[in-house]
Amino acid sequence: MNQNTDLLTLRSVSKSYGTVPVLHDIDLSIRDGEFLTVLGPSGSGKTTVLRLIGGLEPLTSGEIHLDGQDISRMPINRRPFNTVFQDYALFPHLTVSGNVGYGLSVRHIQRKEIARRVAEALDLVQLGSFARRFPAQLSGGQRQRVALARALICQPRLILLDEPLAALDLELRRQMQIFLKSIQREIKTTFLFVTHDQEEAIGMADRICVMEAGHIRQLGTPHDLYYRPNCEFVARFFGENNLVAGKLGAVQGELRSIETTLGRLVCSISDQPHLKAAADGASAYAAFRPEALHLADAKDTDNRFSGTISDMAFAGSSSVATIAAGPDNAAQRLRLRVPSRVDGSALKSGETVSLSFAPHEGHLVLA
Amino acid sequence: MSALPRLSTIFLAAITTLVAVLLYSPLFVPIVSSFFTISHGSVDWSAPTLSTYVALAENHDILVALRTTLIVGVCTVILSVVSGTLLALYYHGRRSGRSVLQFIIFLPFLMPPIISGLALLIFFREIGLERSLLTVVIGHTVFVLAIVYRTVLMRLQSMSRTLVEASYDLGATGWQTFWRIILPNLSSAMVGGAILAFALSFDETMITILVTGTQSTLPVRLWAMMRLGFSPDINALVALILMFTVLLCVLAARFLIPRQVATERT
Repeated sequence: MNQNTDLLTLRSVSKSYGTVPVLHDIDLSIRDGEFLTVLGPSGSGKTTVLRLIGGLEPLTSGEIHLDGQDISRMPINRRPFNTVFQDYALFPHLTVSGNVGYGLSVRHIQRKEIARRVAEALDLVQLGSFARRFPAQLSGGQRQRVALARALICQPRLILLDEPLAALDLELRRQMQIFLKSIQREIKTTFLFVTHDQEEAIGMADRICVMEAGHIRQLGTPHDLYYRPNCEFVARFFGENNLVAGKLGAVQGELRSIETTLGRLVCSISDQPHLKAAADGASAYAAFRPEALHLADAKDTDNRFSGTISDMAFAGSSSVATIAAGPDNAAQRLRLRVPSRVDGSALKSGETVSLSFAPHEGHLVLA
Repeated sequence: MSALPRLSTIFLAAITTLVAVLLYSPLFVPIVSSFFTISHGSVDWSAPTLSTYVALAENHDILVALRTTLIVGVCTVILSVVSGTLLALYYHGRRSGRSVLQFIIFLPFLMPPIISGLALLIFFREIGLERSLLTVVIGHTVFVLAIVYRTVLMRLQSMSRTLVEASYDLGATGWQTFWRIILPNLSSAMVGGAILAFALSFDETMITILVTGTQSTLPVRLWAMMRLGFSPDINALVALILMFTVLLCVLAARFLIPRQVATERT
């Protein structure tokens, strides 16, 4: 279980349904033992990636390699992967233990051995006392755990999870996120988790693969994606962000300036050589998070501009100010997030304020 | 519905009751009168009796006809459930040819029975097949196949595709998936279809009259008895057939309507 060796590799994989292409030349490596989340809006092709790996659909072109061996043509029932389906796909006529033991019994493993391993798997998902129930007698969260136990009892090399939490309510979903993550650490099996929920992705994944319109837009750690988005789509899709369009200016070490409607802004380009290499005057966005923006004080000399607070919204632990900035304090809408305080915010709707963000907290995205 | 004024609600209720009584009360007349004797052409209401049922049980011809009906019914059920299920499985998920197949299967069910019966009769004569119980069974199977096919196909279509995918995903072969996942999930639809098929076969008269040989089934026997005149045991027979058919329909509904299982939350 070395996180640096590749378990599974997709090489220029494409998929079309009839004449409709859904995946274009995907290259993706899944590391042994990692929790990889494939994140994208609906129609981005994320579920198709999972179905191709699981063998539920044939490839149109390209190859899938497991430990360096091409398994693209291997039939679904011989691939050492198991899937947790979005609707759980529990067999309604079998009990919980019948469901969990199914993968072993179709391989003609001895009854005693099956019973022992079923008990083990049910203990792992904390459903030991539910073995004789039928799926219809379980709650959503319990069904979900049965589906997980059924997949992991076969000791697959890779567990594929297709939006398994989508049908659960918010509180249960949070519990299941923590639960899934802890199980993955315990059994040290590689998880490929498909979701459209970026909060879920940030909370669980070792790495996230962001997909859009059949392409992989970015692959990296949650931190990378949040602070170093490589394109406008990721910058906008992944968390709340302020994007201000402009033209690239001069490089100064690890920083680069950009001319925008808010004036000259300076942003970090560390570890992003393509931004250092981009031509002067190229179209780009300055990107900075709502929590990085703050009221300017005397120390702030860079990235200073004024704006009018058009709205204040209380959102529990934090409050969000919507700000109109740029020429005549109107052209550019920005968001500013501050921790909430019981005696109200210092920011008042209608006020004109001076704002700033630190250069190392601002980033550039090529348009 | 609460918006309806009180007067019109009463009016609607009256109309509904009247229609129900006019349409359905004749069905209960033979049941009630089967418990009374008929003397001098009119029902003697004074003394309820089971004598008509006793007379029925002693009628040898009726008992033979009942046995024939049961044999035909069981054979029809076996033939139609096997072939209906196979057809449904074969055509499930296929687009081409399905509507044509459905049309052909439903044709004998929708056509007037006399047309179906005549067509079969002509067919049997052309291929030189003697009229016998075999031709009756074939006739009934052609007639009821639509019901079994439709019932099984509906269940197949409501079955989640991912059940089959999950079975393969867990390492099962196609054969294992069929026996251990698909068939058990179809079984209640097959039982429900079988009961409906049996009920239809039990009551079928027109096709049977046309294609049967010397043996007659219960409804055919009843028909023959009616031609000879109204006898009290006909009331008893009608009452029994009616109750039996109702029982079968209730049974079929139990298998075909999905059971509501209370989901527990913890």
